[in-house]
Amino acid sequence: MTAPHNLALPEDLTESATADPAPAAAPDVTLGLRRTQKQATRNRVVEAARELFDTQGYQGTTIREIARHAGVSVGSVFTTFASKGEVLSQVMAERLDGLYAELDRVMPHLRGATVERLRTMFAIHFSFESRHTRLFLAHIAAAYDWTLPPTAMPMGRNQRLQTILRECLEKGVAEGDVCPQVDRQEVVDLLMAAYAWVYRLAAWNDADAPAMTAVMDRQIALIAAGFQPRA
Amino acid sequence: MFTDPCLDARAGLDEEKGRARPSKPTMMHTAQIQAASDTPVKAPTRRALAKQQTRAKVLDAARRLFSEQGYEGATIRDIAAAAGMSTGAVFANFTDKSDLFREIMLTDMMALAEAMREAAAHGTSAEDGLLRLFVAGYRFYQTQLPLARAAFSVGWSPQDGPALRSAPPVQILLSLFTEQLTKGVQSGELSQDDQIALRTQMLFDAYLANYDQAIFQGWTLEALKARSHDQIRILLAGIRRR
Repeated sequence: MTAPHNLALPEDLTESATADPAPAAAPDVTLGLRRTQKQATRNRVVEAARELFDTQGYQGTTIREIARHAGVSVGSVFTTFASKGEVLSQVMAERLDGLYAELDRVMPHLRGATVERLRTMFAIHFSFESRHTRLFLAHIAAAYDWTLPPTAMPMGRNQRLQTILRECLEKGVAEGDVCPQVDRQEVVDLLMAAYAWVYRLAAWNDADAPAMTAVMDRQIALIAAGFQPRA
Repeated sequence: MFTDPCLDARAGLDEEKGRARPSKPTMMHTAQIQAASDTPVKAPTRRALAKQQTRAKVLDAARRLFSEQGYEGATIRDIAAAAGMSTGAVFANFTDKSDLFREIMLTDMMALAEAMREAAAHGTSAEDGLLRLFVAGYRFYQTQLPLARAAFSVGWSPQDGPALRSAPPVQILLSLFTEQLTKGVQSGELSQDDQIALRTQMLFDAYLANYDQAIFQGWTLEALKARSHDQIRILLAGIRRR
């Protein structure tokens, strides 16, 4: 587990050089170096945590193990993150950024009925995340953890996914295949509950992405009967 | 490879139903001790009584600490201290923290199942019966939401989650939801449902998901009820006869 840090370091140097508008007047090299080291430590911790959460789950992983796996001291984990929950939030934020960027790009171009668009959206989700179902479960479990800071984004309050779902339903209202009287947030909540359940099945039964998609398709059909206009 | 757990979930329920249902947590412990002893007719020995008292004390302390500090935050050491005994004494009664927590949850769920069954008995329709199941649950946990929060944390964990989710009391809860659907079909309120297992699971998940509103946003019982009602209507729409 040494490769990632060696790789991460030069990248961080360039990153902090561009992202950080360092005071031009300050020739304080040690401060800049310290910041770079801190960023490198942060990346190492996030990388190590991702691997451990994924294999042993959230509760099964301690800060001490994360530190050992990352090759840093326990103290330096705590100088960067307030708690284990915060480490997990960072791990998930980095992972999900890629997924949501992809969905933001694809969603406007999806065609067909609302049911079909929802199915496609979740199928993309599962193909992206199916290898990391345990990590995802850890993410959900962490939502109920006491140590989670209020700023963290546990799964149930994932506004980005909820926004995508709401927009999908609004489009359906405009196109006439979603009943305007149905409370969209309630449909979103049901979809979120179904979605989380599929992950549990996947993690506990070793389902792959197609199997997850198949179960989600059935659940979407069942929910759709409740939001489609009555003939 | 990929089995529908709804199907498994109902296996063994009939056997479970036939058993005497303890209404008080303490009764459950008594029952276990008697079952464990060779001569259940005799009064429990002093030793057995002491053991039972120790268990009850540990469980009380554990319940309090899990509520105050969450599942992760509460340690066996703290629980032992709160119960006024050594960690060794705790371990003599429970294999580990997850064993302790599971015992509390299972006891609660048996009592919850009873409360739900009673509530649903007054239902005027399948839809109403389901709503009563939801509300009975929210009412049951209204005063112990921190414990519910800890239960969700454990329920989703890859280690302890599967055991908790497939525990017999959970299957009893699921069967109460299925019962309402079956009743609806029999009365003609609902059409024949070829997805009864999936629908049961989805209703149950909606019921569980709403705890988030109670735990994190302080929703009242009334607000939860209104939300549940709409959700039940959506999930039944496909089989409602009208």
